[in-house]
Amino acid sequence: MTVHRRTLLAGTVAFGGASFLPAIAQAKGQVVATTYPGTWEDAYRTIVLPMLKKKDNIDLELAPLFAMDQIGKARASRGAPPFDVFVLDPGPRIVGLEAGLFEKFDAKKLGNLAKLPAGFADDVGVHVSAQVVGIAYNPKKLPAPKGWGDLLKDPWVSRLGITGFQTTFGTSSLIELSKLFGGSLTNVDPALVELKKVLPKIAAVGLPAAMPGLFQQGQCDVMYTNTQTVATLKGKGVDVEFVKPESGAITFFTTMHIAKGTGELANAYKYLDMVISKDAQEALTKPPYNFLPVNNDVPLAADMPMKSLDEMATYVQHDWSKINPQRAAWIEKFNKEMAK
Amino acid sequence: MTSAAIGASLPGEQRRWFRLAEWQLALPLSLAFAGLFLAPLLLLVATSFFDDDKITQPGFASWLKFFGDPFSYKVILDTLLLGLKTVCATVVIGYPLALVYLDLPPRLQKVLLFIIVLPMLLSVVVRTFAWIVVLGREGVVNQTLQWLGVISEPLKLLQTELGLVISLTQIEMPLMLLPLISVMSRLDPNLRDASAALGASRWRTLFTVIVPLSMPGLIAGCLLVFASATTAFISQTVIGGVRLIYLPLLIWQQSLVVYHWPLAAVASLSLVVSVLSVIAALSWLGRRSSRHLHA
Repeated sequence: MTVHRRTLLAGTVAFGGASFLPAIAQAKGQVVATTYPGTWEDAYRTIVLPMLKKKDNIDLELAPLFAMDQIGKARASRGAPPFDVFVLDPGPRIVGLEAGLFEKFDAKKLGNLAKLPAGFADDVGVHVSAQVVGIAYNPKKLPAPKGWGDLLKDPWVSRLGITGFQTTFGTSSLIELSKLFGGSLTNVDPALVELKKVLPKIAAVGLPAAMPGLFQQGQCDVMYTNTQTVATLKGKGVDVEFVKPESGAITFFTTMHIAKGTGELANAYKYLDMVISKDAQEALTKPPYNFLPVNNDVPLAADMPMKSLDEMATYVQHDWSKINPQRAAWIEKFNKEMAK
Repeated sequence: MTSAAIGASLPGEQRRWFRLAEWQLALPLSLAFAGLFLAPLLLLVATSFFDDDKITQPGFASWLKFFGDPFSYKVILDTLLLGLKTVCATVVIGYPLALVYLDLPPRLQKVLLFIIVLPMLLSVVVRTFAWIVVLGREGVVNQTLQWLGVISEPLKLLQTELGLVISLTQIEMPLMLLPLISVMSRLDPNLRDASAALGASRWRTLFTVIVPLSMPGLIAGCLLVFASATTAFISQTVIGGVRLIYLPLLIWQQSLVVYHWPLAAVASLSLVVSVLSVIAALSWLGRRSSRHLHA
């Protein structure tokens, strides 16, 4: 049998074309959402993805990206976003807002809006998870510290693990430490001066992502971190407790936003509604994910630092529009002050 | 017979076709190289010539800021020194191991080769985190030394340059050993016998016969280890911590934390140029020793 080149080409085109048919059939119910790599990706893939498929027949495609990576990709795409929904912490949220990357948000399209505390949705996006930052310590090795200042004293300082300004929790913690020594929201120099004085004693200075591992291995026994990390470490059998500093725990919210120019506006709202629903939020609060919920109907676990979501209004919150312009210089300063 | 020699032995028309086919065969790789390596590199160079993080104002401010800061020179120097220290450690441990390999019977050679390649079969993240368990305050090394009564307080091995060089030596060892063993296995065993027959001691044979002849493998190993150790971001930051600052950490901070891509591009190009300079020097040394050998 002879196969002509034209026949082969036509066959290939037909075969290739046919492979697009299922995609066309599915394209109606699809949304591409970013998620943080690691726990977030795992949790959303396991919990939210099947729930959204079941309820709305929408295929959720998760793009694991860190916050500033999302901003970078959205900026680079110039009006044709590679995903439909952002997930961001307060700092990158401000950057995205200033760059005009978000679609105007109509919170009334969320069926579960009434279940959120007041102010948890605005005209740019919706709060999807809370984070509470404080001090984690090993109760078998150290007494409980009372506040940020204790971190720089014995016996804690020689077992202290610190991280810089790369993350929201690191930046917030260093700001609070700075305030104790005369610093402010925009002046972290006092914290760096005090840290430098005790630097030879400090047990570990690491990348944020490495800190839980260092704590688990006993390289450090006290560190500033969020409740989610503490719950995850506890789940692995690590001796760890969370302390709300006497000057107050820090809280901030992770928000989701619809990308400007998205072609999946309706599906994006359905996805966000699913994320804040009682079922999804409750499942996300359970181990091994340990998210802090934003839905009032979700019961708070006994070891969570607050009795109700409203209590978080009394926690320390930072204005990231004032922090963002300083952050690059702070990172540079931290490098220089801490470098060996 | 090489492909060029085959082409030359063919009649005229076939030779032309052969040359054309040879050129066409190289085309996909050339296009992939141009598209996936050269184009991004040019983009990196272009990005570095912008002043602001939004990449709107062309200028030299990013270059001036980076090279106007003495801290940048310290970081570049520390990065290169880390590479050189790792190369030295891999040579000191790897070369005797390669000599042992040569003297082993074939069956044991296979076992040793498997052990050498084994680290490459694991993800670098896993290998790096395994070193936390080994070098940590409550890690294997400290616990063993305390059990033996050698130390009373745990040694600080993690987040030190010594710990980082130790772990990088293990992580990069296959890159040193594989080219070294490949070259040394091709050495004529009669040369050693001839050297001994002429009255040379084992050490003299090693330094005047084996080392010079294995130089191409040694240089190739050094190049690979150096390039890999200087750019090993995960190992450097997880094992070394962030008090040991190397160029990959600066690049990560500027590109993914601060989002100042022009500065990240300048730091990246500094890394490329400084690493390539050392590689060029090592290659020159290799060529020189090779010429010396053939002369």
